[in-house]
Amino acid sequence: MLQGKRILSTYFYLFMLVIYLPLLSLLVFSFNDSLSAGFPWKGFTLRWWETFFSDPVALTTVKNSFVVAVATAVVATFMGLGVAFVLVRRVFRGQNVLLSSLVVPIAVPYLLIAVGLFLLLRVGLDLEFSLFTVAIGHIVVALPYSTLVLMARLIGFDRSLEEAAQDLGATGFTTFRKITFPLITPGIFVSMFLAFIISLEDVIIANFLVGGDLTVPMFVWGRLRRWEGLPMAMALSSFMVIIALAFACVFLIRAVSPGLRSPPREV
Amino acid sequence: MKDDTTIRERVPNIFRKMKRLGYYWRLFPAVFWLGAFLILPLSVMFIFSFWTMVNFVPTPTWTLQNYLDIFVRAEGLYVKLLFKSLGMSAAVTLGSIALAYPAAYYISMRGGKYKYVLLPLCITPFMVSWVVLIFGWRMVIGYTGLVNTLLMNVGLISEPVRFWGNWMAVIFVLIVSWAPWLVLPIFVSLEKIDRTLLEAGEDLGATPLENFRKITLPLSMPGLLIATFFVSIPTFGEFVAPALAGGASGAMIGSAIESAFKRMHDWSFGSAMSFLLVIIALITSLVLIRKAGLKTLMESL
Repeated sequence: MLQGKRILSTYFYLFMLVIYLPLLSLLVFSFNDSLSAGFPWKGFTLRWWETFFSDPVALTTVKNSFVVAVATAVVATFMGLGVAFVLVRRVFRGQNVLLSSLVVPIAVPYLLIAVGLFLLLRVGLDLEFSLFTVAIGHIVVALPYSTLVLMARLIGFDRSLEEAAQDLGATGFTTFRKITFPLITPGIFVSMFLAFIISLEDVIIANFLVGGDLTVPMFVWGRLRRWEGLPMAMALSSFMVIIALAFACVFLIRAVSPGLRSPPREV
Repeated sequence: MKDDTTIRERVPNIFRKMKRLGYYWRLFPAVFWLGAFLILPLSVMFIFSFWTMVNFVPTPTWTLQNYLDIFVRAEGLYVKLLFKSLGMSAAVTLGSIALAYPAAYYISMRGGKYKYVLLPLCITPFMVSWVVLIFGWRMVIGYTGLVNTLLMNVGLISEPVRFWGNWMAVIFVLIVSWAPWLVLPIFVSLEKIDRTLLEAGEDLGATPLENFRKITLPLSMPGLLIATFFVSIPTFGEFVAPALAGGASGAMIGSAIESAFKRMHDWSFGSAMSFLLVIIALITSLVLIRKAGLKTLMESL
């Protein structure tokens, strides 16, 4: 029994080590003074980080990625909010059809949505590919996540609070501003966060819809495929790893600060 | 008098009706977006799969040749690739769930007050771009990577082993990269298990293993189904890991689709392969979500 517990905890720490191993390797070896990405360790250098921070193309990809990710987060959450409200609070014909087609973007591989959009935009509409077309695709795949997160939040929503506000004479808008919105804010944050991450890390949709302006994953993907400039790509990758770790810190602070989350159930 | 009341009743009714219909404008942006950028593209793909590329120009010939080609072109290379990919997806699904389950179990059952610290820590590696993760794995198991260097220093091998650049590397990378994300749905389903059930089992003389097999595992089934959904669907269309880690033997059907569009300019054949995969993925998703329930999916996010 005790042994079983020890095996389980040992497994868990090994698991954590393994899933962090690639990230740590990237971080460490982005400081390696070597032209190739890998062993042996040839000494500490800041050269690759300097190359990254002085390379206008690489910096532009970072900016591009963030622009697309923010646009995706805002638009997908806005759209998801509308759908979530109607789906949770109204009963209407075609409800199930809407719900099913909403799940389709995560029920087929992103590759196929990217291919479809590639055909529609390139052949059907003859559009030039750009960051805008990338954002179109990202919003499609982020929408299901946003909607489902917000729906989950709205289902657990105590509507008597809104009714009370209205009984006390609040208008529809005031009720929304003072009652509804504050209560669903956590859901909105999660939705925006998910959409942001989905967009920031995507390479599949961008691979088909990106124009001359690359996003970070596309830039790294190009370097990896052509086996060139890998150390600098490593610094750029490490930069993205650090951003992910920063997000994790935000979540950790959220987790340990009381009041933001209901305390874990006693076992 | 009588008319007066009906009018008075009718007017607010119309207003109420308009108000009720007015509520549905909220659907418009999303419905428009899904229609224009999901349903329409998939329809275009469906139509294209019956066309032919003549001198790199899609031409409406309305033929089934593209679908036939999946089975006959290059001596059935593509249909073999399809089955191989489905097999690889199954292996990745089983492997990553097997890897994630004990971790989720540990957090849920033994995490105590650190549960919500360990959970985000566990998921974080999944928030890094796919390409970056694969790059990182190359640093670990690549030719000049960490594992090879360690093994050589210990003296177990005299020259680096080619772990990288074959189908096993693809499966390995996919398994370890998906596992962190699968911890979430499994954790959520484990959290919902009433702990008194486990105590009751214990009181009735069940060993921990029996308890796990008869109570914990069946009750965490919805989470396992959602985990299967999370990993299997994207793996059907995977082409990034095969391109970077797969070498010649690691190609999947996604790689064939990607190259049909990006390099071979064979859009109609690519559309046929894509559409076949759409059907396979949709059926798989339908079965999994039906069984697990959409609510479980919602709670797992």
